[in-house]
Amino acid sequence: MSLLGKKFKGIEAFDQAANRTYQLLPSRFAALDDGRYLLSNEVGEYLVVDRKHLESYVKKQVPHDTDFYYDLKSKHFLFDDDSNVAIDLLALKYRTKAQRIAQFTALHLFVVSLRCDYSCQYCQVSRQTDDKVAFDMSEETADKALDLVFRSPSPAIKIEFQGGEPLLNFNLIQYIVKEARWRNLVHQRDLQFVITSNLSFLSDEVLSFCQEHNIQLSTSLDGPESLHNSNRPRPGKNSYQLTVDGIQKAQNFLGRDKIGALMTTTERSLSQVKAIIDTYLENNLDCIFLRPLSPYGFAIKNQQAQKYDVDRWFEFYKEGLDYILEINRQGHTFVEVYTQLIVNKLLSPFGQGYVDLQSPAGAAISAIVYNYDGDVYASDEARMLAEMGDKKFRLGNVHTESYEDIWLSDVLLDTLESSLSESLPMCSDCGFLPYCGTDPVYHYATQGDVVGNKALSGFCSKNMKIFKYVIRLLESDSDARDILLSWVRS
Amino acid sequence: MKTHELNFDVRVFSLDTVKRALYRFSDKCSFDIQLKDNDITVTLHVKTDEDLTSKIKNEVLDQDLRDTLSKETANIRTLILANAFSNTGLIQ
Repeated sequence: MSLLGKKFKGIEAFDQAANRTYQLLPSRFAALDDGRYLLSNEVGEYLVVDRKHLESYVKKQVPHDTDFYYDLKSKHFLFDDDSNVAIDLLALKYRTKAQRIAQFTALHLFVVSLRCDYSCQYCQVSRQTDDKVAFDMSEETADKALDLVFRSPSPAIKIEFQGGEPLLNFNLIQYIVKEARWRNLVHQRDLQFVITSNLSFLSDEVLSFCQEHNIQLSTSLDGPESLHNSNRPRPGKNSYQLTVDGIQKAQNFLGRDKIGALMTTTERSLSQVKAIIDTYLENNLDCIFLRPLSPYGFAIKNQQAQKYDVDRWFEFYKEGLDYILEINRQGHTFVEVYTQLIVNKLLSPFGQGYVDLQSPAGAAISAIVYNYDGDVYASDEARMLAEMGDKKFRLGNVHTESYEDIWLSDVLLDTLESSLSESLPMCSDCGFLPYCGTDPVYHYATQGDVVGNKALSGFCSKNMKIFKYVIRLLESDSDARDILLSWVRS
Repeated sequence: MKTHELNFDVRVFSLDTVKRALYRFSDKCSFDIQLKDNDITVTLHVKTDEDLTSKIKNEVLDQDLRDTLSKETANIRTLILANAFSNTGLIQ
């Protein structure tokens, strides 16, 4: 009895708790909809509360014997005399969230050729030319870039081949894959390869090489035939047929999980989201990424980016997501990738890998681009901007600058410092901060300033709308919640 | 462009709180801010027909709560971050 008495507090100890005060833990809030707020803490745990509850929490007036108090305590919005373990747990979760910063650059994009058989209206970089010397990466440049790749401390390295059309320089892809694997015998990283291709030149030789070296393929599929052909013109006007034939061939040869597709939204896409999704289903693809049109390069020159605004794009996204949820309700698992990423961020300390939703931004410290001529850019968008004549985010050249020169350059450090959401106007106290990030290249391209005024920012407006919509689904639609959770459990 | 005037008592809301709230409306308005004795006077130059005064007043209330939350948790936030990175070799 006396032993029991030492182990367990008497009932009076619990009664006293009712009179104790509590301490607030770091948190932020943002308006969710009429009268409701999203309250989030430093590591992204959240509660949806009304104004009355929000005020009572901040003013430390929440009664101890209420469910709201226990919700606040269990999700680390407050601590009291009973337990201060919250601080240790928050530190642990914060460290998990921040782990990718210490791991450093994992994604290395090699632009092996700018040549392309397509002339897409939204493409910023490709060249229709037979001049191999002028627009193909050389082995010497690739070697120098590989020197930099293996200087990154990241335990996982992904090399992605981009273009133009990278298969037009397939010999160099073969060289880089073999050379990287050879060097990796010493470095022992988790080394992966991706080829981003329009599949026009997907031969059996290419497929066999992909199979031998476990290379993933990624292609572009913009939707049904008429839309795809109009967005992605090539001689012969058969880009859709070539792409879907290539997808099928790759699925049969390599397996369904070895090829994925990305879509680009243009003004013509906005009225046909269901048809776009149906095209993905018809081609046995398991997911789609409903992407907005990037505001860079030729997209701006063609006035494409200004033809539809964030509100119109959001209606497109919402209609698409609702349709995808309906498809899932009928028993077919099909994922919208951006939503999946956000749900992952909302419900776990993971899902931090997406370059656009990171603080500091992922520029060069998550992903970096080696252009065909050896120029190094902080992101693919930075390369696109350079093709339009603005080399603001060019970090150096593999032939003339060292690893230290590039990653410690003033351009990069200034950019990263300007991309810490925790210190940016409007971001620093925003409830969505743990899930969001900032994109310095986007804000530079659209506002001429790497920080940008978020009240004017399409990036901010788009993400706020998506966060609010996804949170409302999670909170008020149990069917949708089950589906969204199933996307992040696997 | 329409103009409206709003007044805030500096004993109730800090100038910083008012400015943070106004910044969020910088896509729709421009502002002149004056501080006289205990009054913060804000002249709004509104670019649209929208009536923003009540929205701005509510945003000032939100920013005031944010200010309380942020000041009260500043030390704990530093403690959590120091704790999070204590064994990583990233901080001295």
